[in-house]
Amino acid sequence: MHMSIPASTTAEAFEAESLAPEAAASVRPAAAWRRLVGHRSAVLGLSVLTIYAVASIVGPILFPFNPGQNQLTTVLFAPGQEGHVLGTDNFGRDELLLLVYGARYTLSLGVMAVALGIIVGVPLGSVSGYFGGWADIIIQRFTDVLLAFPPIVLALALVAGLGVGLRNVVIAVGVSSVPSFVRLVRADSLRLRELPFVEAARALGVSPWRILLRHVIPNAIAPVIVQATLQMGFAILLAASLGFFGLGVQPPTPEWGELLGEARNYIFSDPNLATFPGLAIFAAVLAFNLVGDGLRDALDPRLG
Amino acid sequence: MITYVARRVLAGVPTLWGVATVVFFMARLLPGDPARVIAGVLASPEDVERIRKQMGLDQPLWVQYLDFMGSLLHLDLGTSAHTNAPVVEEIGSRLPYTIELALVALAIAITAGILAGIVAAIRRNTWLDLVISGLSVFGVSMPVYWLGLMMIILFAIDLHLFPAAGADEPASIVMPALTLALFSVGLIARMTRSSMLEVLGQDYVRTARAKGAPFRVVVFRHALRNALLPIMTVIGLQFGALLGGAVVTETVFAWPGVGRLLVDSIFFRDYPVVQGLVLMFGTTFVVINLLVDLTYAYVDPRIHYS
Amino acid sequence: MSTKLLVMVTAVVLLSACGGGGTTGGPKQGDKLTVAIGIDPDTLDTMRQTTTTVQNIVQMVVETLVRVDTDGKVQPLLATSWQTSSDGLSWTFTLRSGIKFTDGEPFNAAAVKANLDRVLAPGNTCPLCGPFRSVSSIDAVDDTHVKLNMKKPVAPLLGLLTEVTFGFLAPNTIAQGTDTFKDQEKPIGTGPYVLTERVKGDHVTLSRNDQYWGSKPNYKTQVFKIVPEAATREALVRAGQADVILLPPVSDIPAMQKDSTLKVILAPGDRTIFLGFNTQDPSQPLLQKPEVRQALNYAVNKDQIIKSILFGAATPMDAPMAPTLFGYCKVGSYAYDPNKAKQMLTAAGASNLSIKFVSPTGRYIQDFQAAQAIANDLSAVGVKVDGPRTMDWPTYLGTINVPPARASVDLHLLGWAPGYLDASQAMVQFQSSSWPPAGLATSYYKNPEVDSILAKANSESDQAARQADYCSASKLVWSDAPWIFLWVQRFPIVTTAKVANVQSIPNESFYTMYASPA
Repeated sequence: MHMSIPASTTAEAFEAESLAPEAAASVRPAAAWRRLVGHRSAVLGLSVLTIYAVASIVGPILFPFNPGQNQLTTVLFAPGQEGHVLGTDNFGRDELLLLVYGARYTLSLGVMAVALGIIVGVPLGSVSGYFGGWADIIIQRFTDVLLAFPPIVLALALVAGLGVGLRNVVIAVGVSSVPSFVRLVRADSLRLRELPFVEAARALGVSPWRILLRHVIPNAIAPVIVQATLQMGFAILLAASLGFFGLGVQPPTPEWGELLGEARNYIFSDPNLATFPGLAIFAAVLAFNLVGDGLRDALDPRLG
Repeated sequence: MITYVARRVLAGVPTLWGVATVVFFMARLLPGDPARVIAGVLASPEDVERIRKQMGLDQPLWVQYLDFMGSLLHLDLGTSAHTNAPVVEEIGSRLPYTIELALVALAIAITAGILAGIVAAIRRNTWLDLVISGLSVFGVSMPVYWLGLMMIILFAIDLHLFPAAGADEPASIVMPALTLALFSVGLIARMTRSSMLEVLGQDYVRTARAKGAPFRVVVFRHALRNALLPIMTVIGLQFGALLGGAVVTETVFAWPGVGRLLVDSIFFRDYPVVQGLVLMFGTTFVVINLLVDLTYAYVDPRIHYS
Repeated sequence: MSTKLLVMVTAVVLLSACGGGGTTGGPKQGDKLTVAIGIDPDTLDTMRQTTTTVQNIVQMVVETLVRVDTDGKVQPLLATSWQTSSDGLSWTFTLRSGIKFTDGEPFNAAAVKANLDRVLAPGNTCPLCGPFRSVSSIDAVDDTHVKLNMKKPVAPLLGLLTEVTFGFLAPNTIAQGTDTFKDQEKPIGTGPYVLTERVKGDHVTLSRNDQYWGSKPNYKTQVFKIVPEAATREALVRAGQADVILLPPVSDIPAMQKDSTLKVILAPGDRTIFLGFNTQDPSQPLLQKPEVRQALNYAVNKDQIIKSILFGAATPMDAPMAPTLFGYCKVGSYAYDPNKAKQMLTAAGASNLSIKFVSPTGRYIQDFQAAQAIANDLSAVGVKVDGPRTMDWPTYLGTINVPPARASVDLHLLGWAPGYLDASQAMVQFQSSSWPPAGLATSYYKNPEVDSILAKANSESDQAARQADYCSASKLVWSDAPWIFLWVQRFPIVTTAKVANVQSIPNESFYTMYASPA
């Protein structure tokens, strides 16, 4: 979604002021890292994500588990019953193992969806901002059209049209994140275009594409990274909404949003079916948001 | 100024045309035969064909497109394939509910969000800031339907405070609005905080304080006014997001708004309603954008001279 | 009932009937009954109905010639008696006299003719008309007699006429040449309730018709709230904000049954849930062998699935149709026996069968969840199962409702609920003339013997002969096993303990007409 992103072309004026030219043009990585690590909540977020990442890789190796296997004799156990720490779900599968196995789907979903948004959005945004003119107008209108669709609607229609499953959820969610990156990079490109060193490159006859690749995009990257971490949280939530309608990642894949959606019919009888995936999602999104905040503070010293 | 307004309005037209075209094709690319779905599984092939003709689906695609665009120019949104009532009636009977919900949620979000953000900015890095920031992030991290159902369990069943569903009583709006507002509160609070922090760090603020201006005056007269611009942008965007985000909330709380109508219509392949609704969302977005831009231009004279 | 009890009951009934709504000895009177349903009515027009729950509501306002009682039997309503001609090509109904529509118009043969002409009018949409289209004309013989003439005998006519599609609206409100001839959204009928308010997406309110010709309901108003989320419906009934709800989350049924503030009714239904084989796929010759299909029937542990996944909200099928239908006879069972299944598969040379399996989601009770358990069961006997895949309903329908040449799956889950409780509508699934796109016989089953028995039964006037015919056809179908026969879904209704006499009709209808405060 859109944190510090202006809604329109005129708001770019504000956006251009927000990062002082000197600071943005040369964010010193070492200093930034020091600031990030000093930021307590960001560290918390990073730790959570690390734990998730490690669990998602190590867990399946240590505990072989087949989510496709139902055990109808151990259905809906309460947490702690018969050694199942978090209980079992409506198919008799151990809840904790489900979460561990599901971690990689949920996390990779967030990462891939945002990667899609970046791969499409950053080039479009930089072209739009740097070249201006017709390219700018067309790209901006295209972005406006995308923005005019509420994200859940766009995602629902895409999934209904393309079919369900992880790959299409990634596409659906990724598409809705494109506009924010386009806008972000466009604003920075507009600003960077006027900077002396870019003008110098132009004067020297360097090709525009080279300028874009070598000078503009790398310097616009910092806010993109911040936005990316925030978008990952939204991607996961949007996928969970799709799961609510039964149109997200499909069972038996234990993606957390899918587990949460399944649980809606058990909310009274076995609320822990919803609580644990819900908490897992919440913690992941929270972690992404905290890291994103920390990155933003770290990369923009004036707010420090 | 007038040319500026005119330019901005004109820019909205191709956007709307784009939205209309995209939704037209998207609806028709959805798999499944809408005539069959609408007629029901027990209907005879003749009935299915009749419905197909009524929906105009037997025509070639480009004819359908031209028909669609043509009727749009007459502001005719067509007839719902599912209920046979005019689309305008289907949308019109439900829109006020969603607007009411979105406005109430937005009001809660703006009030709570801006206040929280200001407090967090002023008391930066104290425990108060941490709590507020924590709750704000909490707000934007929560799966909506889970929150909604938890609220129903707590407030309707256990505490008997509010109606769990429907729109009959005045109190019915409380839970859905709170659920819907939560995400925006978080967003607005965070936006306000960072915007305020930025403004408070500016030279002119330091000058004002050095000149001896009381803190409250500094905050409200100088800082907030300048911080307001990006906040307004976010608010403008949020209204559109609220309309869309109402989808899940309206389903959980049985709130008879357009969010639910949209989801149902996608599932029923009711093209005319889907098209009408998405166009409506798109138009709202364009209009709100325009208003925000105009307010910007009014408040910040630098902008329309560029 | 003992004679004494019978006398007492009769006395009470007579007293309350004479009292004209007096409360001496009768059921308590109530002000408002709130019923939470899950779907938003698309139309209130009788003619355009497609959904049982909506018909359920409209039936409280608009009446038909005959009705289905809570046991599934046809009873007189606006018609007091009827007779068929010996060739079965015409039916004459005697109408009840002295009845008025709530707008003052008289109910008579002309009104009947106006309504039935309307549903048959070319250009009008009548999705549930079905076999009624064999009626060629309707004659208003005199004020209280109506004659239906048909092109060929329509054996289930009485059952058909219980559908509110053939209900009677006040003739002035459906005059030819007006918009309401095609679509009447404010039905005015002769029923015990009138429609007083409809807020789209939110509720439908009915108020008692105090001029009703029959026994008056006990609740002054009934409000049908539209609550799409099952968990929210349950919340409403638990919080006492709804008196009756339909289709709660099944997993909560055991807990609600133990809750003394709630009453759970697992109403018998008529919806069979089954897995349809593609029996005509040349690339799957194994599936064309009945032994293979029977083997797979033995492979599914229906009882366990009903217990663990449906929480008891179904009963295993023992015939190709539900027991509540006319024409049902118990045929047999495919009791769970994985070893037998494996043996049969090996004997038929099908030990490495591989199938593509699809299922809808959220359309039937625990449909997709059950499909997953079934896939497991099939894998356990050595079948390679691709799926179950799911998709939204329109896509699903588009996938299975195709002619055999375009079929793409081997096994699909489907439910089938006849609207009127007659075997003819259930057995249509096994007629080769109903292959898509002409009908929804998605198994492409073809058995000439079954076809001829059904053709005879569908036009037979002698009901006993019909019953026997459907029974023989059922036996043939059962052993041919074009389906994996799963279960008959129940229709769960939950009420608060403060409401009494909420009943059901076995075609997935609730019956709150004579509900009363407890």
